[in-house]
Amino acid sequence: MPHRSRVLAGAVAAAALTLSACSGAAPPPSAGGPTVITYWSSLRGTQPVVDAFNATHTDIQVDLEVTPTGTGGTNAKLTNATRAGNAPDVATLEYNALPAFALDGAVLDVTDRIDDRFRAALLPQAWDQTTFDGRVYGVPLDIEPMVLFYRRDLFEQHGIAVPTTWAEFEQAAREIKAAAPDVRLGTFFTNSAPHLAGFADQAGARWFSTDGGRWNLDFTGPASTRVAQFWQRLVDDDLLQVAPGSSQQWNAAIANGTVATYIDGAWAAAALMRSAPGGAGTWAAAPLPQWDPAHPRVGVKGGSVFAVTAGSDHPAEAMEFLRWMVTDPEAFRARLSSGASSMYPAAPALVGVADEGFDRSYFGGQDVYALFREQAAIVPEGWVWGPRMTATNQIVQEGLARIRYGGTVLEALERAQEESLPDMRALGLAVVAR
Amino acid sequence: MTTVPGQRTAVTVLLVPFALLCLGVFVVPAGYAIYLSFFSTSHSGLGFGTARTVFVGLRNFAVVLTDPSFLRSIGVTLVYIMVFIPLLVAGSLLMALLLDSGLARGRRFAQTVLFLPHAIPGIIAAIIWLYLYTPGISPVLAGLAAADVRIDLLGETLLIPSLVNIALWGGLGYNTVIFYAALQAVPREVMEAAAVDGAGAVRTALRVKVPMVRASVVTVAMFTLVGSLQLFTEPMLLAQATPLVGARFTPNMYIFDAAFNRSNYGLASAASVLLLVLCCLLSYAVARFSSRGARS
Repeated sequence: MPHRSRVLAGAVAAAALTLSACSGAAPPPSAGGPTVITYWSSLRGTQPVVDAFNATHTDIQVDLEVTPTGTGGTNAKLTNATRAGNAPDVATLEYNALPAFALDGAVLDVTDRIDDRFRAALLPQAWDQTTFDGRVYGVPLDIEPMVLFYRRDLFEQHGIAVPTTWAEFEQAAREIKAAAPDVRLGTFFTNSAPHLAGFADQAGARWFSTDGGRWNLDFTGPASTRVAQFWQRLVDDDLLQVAPGSSQQWNAAIANGTVATYIDGAWAAAALMRSAPGGAGTWAAAPLPQWDPAHPRVGVKGGSVFAVTAGSDHPAEAMEFLRWMVTDPEAFRARLSSGASSMYPAAPALVGVADEGFDRSYFGGQDVYALFREQAAIVPEGWVWGPRMTATNQIVQEGLARIRYGGTVLEALERAQEESLPDMRALGLAVVAR
Repeated sequence: MTTVPGQRTAVTVLLVPFALLCLGVFVVPAGYAIYLSFFSTSHSGLGFGTARTVFVGLRNFAVVLTDPSFLRSIGVTLVYIMVFIPLLVAGSLLMALLLDSGLARGRRFAQTVLFLPHAIPGIIAAIIWLYLYTPGISPVLAGLAAADVRIDLLGETLLIPSLVNIALWGGLGYNTVIFYAALQAVPREVMEAAAVDGAGAVRTALRVKVPMVRASVVTVAMFTLVGSLQLFTEPMLLAQATPLVGARFTPNMYIFDAAFNRSNYGLASAASVLLLVLCCLLSYAVARFSSRGARS
């Protein structure tokens, strides 16, 4: 196969891989008129928000570019644009991607641009997730406590109580399988490290922590191990569907009722309506089961933050726009106008707006926002995403996917810690692995 | 040294395009990669707000060489090579000997058909095979399933063989042509002498023909080795279909991941330089080993 030119080309490729390709995003001219802010977002339903802002503001206009979703989407695009010096003024990021951008100096430290009123307008747990080493690098849009969505009809039909603890969850898994051999209580997502992270956070684990001015990695401490072994046991005993999230298999199971629960962040209520429109009236939402009901706490799954880029020429205007987006009821109304969304806003004052725009009929009239509010209140502070979380998540997921080939959840975590270290060392960070 | 008038000009004209290309797409990028491999965006402590690019000496190399995922990618590639190269060399040599033996009918046709896969770009070939390998869309697997045979071509045991298969399919014909050309160059009188000495067709092939095309075998093995160390396209595509192919499955994928997923250009450069060195060393070893063998 390899003839000379191909060999040469290959050899060169190895050396040349370091040259990155960049896509340009030239800011539109703004001479004399309003200040134009460029904005990249892959978040569904952003256009109406930007339109609403532009309609009500004359001195600042926002120019939105809808970017691709996923790790190869906005993240990669923003990294390349930062290197090329043509990044937008503002970008939407996932919480877990923010530390990497903050570390690389791609996003602006906006600590001094946040006054007390703005700070007080958003939940402290949300600010906590965008604050590193005492400095704020992003403005949180929503906070997404994990919730247990379940098929009320199936639970009633088989006489199974909605689990409030993980022990009850396991019990319910055994009962439902015994009652209906084709039905599983839930799904173990082989492609979702953030799910496992949310479960670990709930149990009190800290995969990354920054005590002592250094990065401490602890993926296999008692709390993580407990979570890993719990899910491992359920998988080993064939009590769960094992499938990638959002996969065809999973969608089919959700639609045809062979899976009776779905655990995800609050935003997923609307996603569920889209995935299984036929399930209207049969689904309900419940708090995530607890390890210790006396001290309830819940992890998060998902959520977005807005960041001003380090190279922005208009940081003040950008912050004004961000503040409007996360605290103004008009912004939230516009965000929900494009269709069903069930995100839980980081600004408690906006919960009413969100609730108002939400169609409760799918959940049989249940006040799910009341549940979200309760759950958001017990999201603990202190979880820290790693400085190369996209890569870390990927390693966890490669490990989880191996579960079908005899791998274990704990091995996935072990490997994630082991293989996250080299990158951090190469960056010269102070790192300690437990 | 005497030069025919005009020869100097001809040499210049003929070599300049090569020299420019080699400089532009090999020497300069390689030099830049080596330069980059000694630098890193460096931080201190937690790293927030302290990013700056500094000379870090051999730190990137030390990290790459102790990174379990990089070492595993080398391991995977070596296993692949140990399966692929013997199969490729033996297979194409066998094909060439058959074509050369006069037993084969429709030789030209056979040669063309064998060579055809080589004309298909690697990425297209990988897509075709991905289609054939993926359960649910592959007609081959569907056919086998109908006959109650279930195999997971992208599972743990068959993953490497499946990768080797793609490469074999693409490379067999090309190397057959090289070996066939070399066999054609074996002097007639040597064949006649072998026949006079009473050697049969098989004996002639193994004891006379194969040793005489040894140089081609070494060349093919060396090029294949260097090409295999840079395995990238095929596993990158198979990663779409099987979680067993991770983002750092082969050294080249590790480099790609380090640069574009982890934004760690120093680390990517160090791994690139190490891969370049490994390619050079292994090629040298193959050439050295076989030339020594030829002398004895």
